[in-house]
Amino acid sequence: MNNSLSSNNIIINMDKVWLSYDKIHYVLNEITMSVKQSTNYTIIGQSGSGKSTLLKLINGLLIPSKGKITVFGMTPNKKNKQFLNIMKKIGYIPQSLGLVKNISVLDNVLIGTLTRINKIKSILKILPEIEIDNAKQALELVGLEDKMEKKTYALSGGEKRRVAIARALAQKPILLLADEIVSELDHVTSKEIMNLISDTQHELKLTSVMIHHDIKLALDYADIVSVLQKGKKILEIGVNGNTITDFDMTKNQPC
Amino acid sequence: MLNYKNNLLIGFLIIAFIYSYLILNLDIISFFNGLPNLLIIFNEIHNIDYSLLSVAFVSMIETIQMAFLGTALGYLFAFPLSILASRNLASKYSYLPMRCVLAVVRTFPSILWAILFVIMVGLGPFAGVLSITLYTIGFISKLQYESIEAIDSEIIDNITSIGISKSQLIRYVVIPESAPHLLSQLLFTFDYNVRHTSVIGLVGAGGIGFYIINYIKFFEYEKALVFMLVVLITVIIIDLCSVKIRDKYIIKFATSKKLN
Repeated sequence: MNNSLSSNNIIINMDKVWLSYDKIHYVLNEITMSVKQSTNYTIIGQSGSGKSTLLKLINGLLIPSKGKITVFGMTPNKKNKQFLNIMKKIGYIPQSLGLVKNISVLDNVLIGTLTRINKIKSILKILPEIEIDNAKQALELVGLEDKMEKKTYALSGGEKRRVAIARALAQKPILLLADEIVSELDHVTSKEIMNLISDTQHELKLTSVMIHHDIKLALDYADIVSVLQKGKKILEIGVNGNTITDFDMTKNQPC
Repeated sequence: MLNYKNNLLIGFLIIAFIYSYLILNLDIISFFNGLPNLLIIFNEIHNIDYSLLSVAFVSMIETIQMAFLGTALGYLFAFPLSILASRNLASKYSYLPMRCVLAVVRTFPSILWAILFVIMVGLGPFAGVLSITLYTIGFISKLQYESIEAIDSEIIDNITSIGISKSQLIRYVVIPESAPHLLSQLLFTFDYNVRHTSVIGLVGAGGIGFYIINYIKFFEYEKALVFMLVVLITVIIIDLCSVKIRDKYIIKFATSKKLN
C-alpha cells in the first residue's frame, strides 16, 4: 500500500464515534477508523448512510455525541481557536460545493488563500502577488485559466466542481475532504477530475478522505475503501490497483 | 386548496372585515357626497402659476439631496447593525438585543422622527436628513438581516471551515452573495425616501413639503399644484432610472442563475 506503510503517521483517528442530531436516532453508530498520512481513504454507501456527516466531524463542523476523534492530534471543533490553525490546512469540498456564486472564478479561488493574508489588507483587496499567482496556478491545474474573470454562476456544473477543487488546492492543504466530488458528472469528466486529484495528491503527499457513490471509481483511486450502511461501518478493505490487500468485516452486520 | 382549515380562515377574515367596518363607524355615502367638495379645489385652480417652477425645482433638488444623504447614511449604519442582528453570523447575545433596538427604531414613523429632530436641531434640512437616516436604519436593517440570513448556510459553513476570519467572510461571501438583494433594497429605499422627504417637510424639516403645506394652508392650490407636479415628475424619473439599474444588475443575475 505505497508509502503509507513506511510513514506510520496517523492523521485522523476515530474511536467509537456516535452522532445524533436529535438525541433519539443515531446517524453514526460506533465508527472506528484511522487514516494514515498520504493515503486516499474512500467512503462509500447509500444516501442517508451518514457519509457526509462523517466528513463534517473531521473538520469540526459537527461535534460527536459520543466517542473521540483526533485530527492531527487535536479534537476537531470549529469554535476552538487552536483547531483553527488545523482547519486552515484542511481542504473541504462539500457536495453543494459552497462556492460564492456572485463573484469571479479567480476571487472564489482566492478565498482559499485568505487565511495566509493579513486581515485588513485582504478586506481592502490588496492581495500579495504571490497568492494571486498561487490561485492562478491552481486554476491552470484544473484547466480553467481562460475563465478566471467569469462570474461563477455562469459556469457549467463540471466547471463549478473544478473551481471548488482549485480553491481547495489554493489553500495548500495537507488533508483534503471531498464529498461526492464527481457525482452527477459524466464518466469522462469524472475520470479527468479524479486523475487530477490523484496526481496532485501524489505530488503534495496529501492525505484525503473522499466520499463516492460509484464503487468502481472508489476502487480505482482509493488506498482504503470503507463501506457505511445505516450509520455503521460494515466493511473496510485495502486496495492496491486491482487487488484487495486487506479485508476487514466488522462485527456490526447490517440487519 | 379550499380545505376545512382554509375555509375557516377565509370566513374569519370576512367577519373581521365587516366587524372592523361597522365598529369604526365608516360611512361610504359621505365619500360620494363629498366628491363635489373636491371639485371646489379644482375650480380654484384657474391658472397654474408657472413662475414658481424654478423655486419648486430648487426645493425639489434640496429634497433629493436630503433623501440621498439620509439614505446613504442610514444604509451605512444599517449594514453593520444588520450583521450584528443576523442569526447566522452573530451570537445570541448579539442578535437578540440588536433586534430589540432595531424594532424600537422601526416603531417610529419618519414624521415622528422629524418632529423630534426639529425640536433638537431646529427647522431645516438637517432635521430632515437625521429623521430620514433613522427611519432608513429601522426600515432597511430588517430587510438586510433577512437577506443575510437567506444566504445558503452550506456556503458559510464551507468557507468558515477553511478557517477564515469573520471580517473576511463578510467581505468575500456575505456582501457578494446578498448584493443583488442589498442593491434592490437600496433602490427601493431611495425611491421611498424621496417621496417621504417631501412629506416630512410638512413639519418644517426642509424640502419641498414645506412649500406644499404652506400653500395649502393659505388655500393657494394652484401654487401647491406646481410643487406637487414637480414631485410627481421626479418620482417618475427616479422610477425609470431604478428600472434601468435593476435590469442591468439584478435581473441579469437572476436570469443567468436560472439558465444554469
